[in-house]
Amino acid sequence: MSDRGDKMNTNPQGSLAAALRALPDATPQPDLWPDLANALASRRKPRMWHYAIPLALAAGLTFALLLPRGTLQRAQPQPAPHEITAMTAPNHASSEAATLAKKDELDNLYQRSQTLERWIAAVAARAPQDSRDLMAAVEVEDLIGLVDVQLGAAHDHNDALPLWRQRVALLEDLATIRGSAFAIAANDNEPSRAAATSLNSIN
Amino acid sequence: MTSASFQIDVPDTVLARARRGESAALEQIYRAFDRPSYTLALRMLGNADSARETVHDAMLHLLERIHQFRGDSPFWGWLRQIVVNQALMRLRRERGVSFEELPDDDDSPSNAPAPWAVADARHLEHALERLPALTRSVLWLFHVEEYTHQEIAAMTGKSVSFSKSQVLRGGIRLRALLEPNVFDQSMLENKQEAAPCLTGATR
Repeated sequence: MSDRGDKMNTNPQGSLAAALRALPDATPQPDLWPDLANALASRRKPRMWHYAIPLALAAGLTFALLLPRGTLQRAQPQPAPHEITAMTAPNHASSEAATLAKKDELDNLYQRSQTLERWIAAVAARAPQDSRDLMAAVEVEDLIGLVDVQLGAAHDHNDALPLWRQRVALLEDLATIRGSAFAIAANDNEPSRAAATSLNSIN
Repeated sequence: MTSASFQIDVPDTVLARARRGESAALEQIYRAFDRPSYTLALRMLGNADSARETVHDAMLHLLERIHQFRGDSPFWGWLRQIVVNQALMRLRRERGVSFEELPDDDDSPSNAPAPWAVADARHLEHALERLPALTRSVLWLFHVEEYTHQEIAAMTGKSVSFSKSQVLRGGIRLRALLEPNVFDQSMLENKQEAAPCLTGATR
């Protein structure tokens, strides 16, 4: 709170904070609870999930382990579209090759995105998180939502490709946040492999 | 007591029941926070429908994840952060990625007595509504919710100096809007729609 020295009570605008605080609270009308209760009920998982989730999680982790990560080339900076063109067409080659390369990368990004989303959903359902991690997760989820909005407005592969890269990067951030909680939870019960395996497999 | 109304302690027993998915406990939590959540969203967004949707989404987000809450920081802080994030995301979505800013010609200093000290709530709400969305949000987050400039800068993706200037300019603009002649003129202009979203749902 170090930057609150110029708080309104100590300067000529002194009473603005108090005036704003004195404004009456507002109430959502009509009541939001019935809609919320319905939405929660429709999303509530059946009891069988308590047994199915560990199996689904194990399957997801196995799948993630087997996923050919090399195809994503995410350890290296992704070439820009014009660089892709330059690389794939040294002998004046075609924009077709460049287009195919982009399509391949997009396919890989879709696949990676789906895998990460499934993994995150499974882990989130099982692992308790502290509130700091939850806030971080919420922020990353909001950013993903923003990328999705922009993806909705993307006209072609050139527009979509950088956004999908960004989406996968954000999902990886989210997986790291979720994964750390899962690792802690797993360590509480089974102190060795599960956590490390889960994180390594996704990263 | 708008700002204080968010700082509600939820009993551990209620949280424990909510984590188990008991509908009554979830509703109890919703009822405790519906007004502060809606008030915050309404002050930031300036639109009743958007505020309702924001609170709905934020509450759904929170109640679905409540089993992950460990209780090592205040529950209300978590919820408030979710509401702020959702509102900022909606502002970006509805108004584009960049926010409108106040022009520089608002910087004229004034030594006159603060008009909000004598303005009634309806006038102040009306003036607040006429500020640009981000300015109003920053003003509210700083003065009422007591976020720091650093925190506001991080949440909005702007600089600390931007947050400070928005607070300063917002105060100056609010002062100008609350001058009697300006307010009378604006009331004439907006006779048909006298701040319905800010006054209609208050109690």
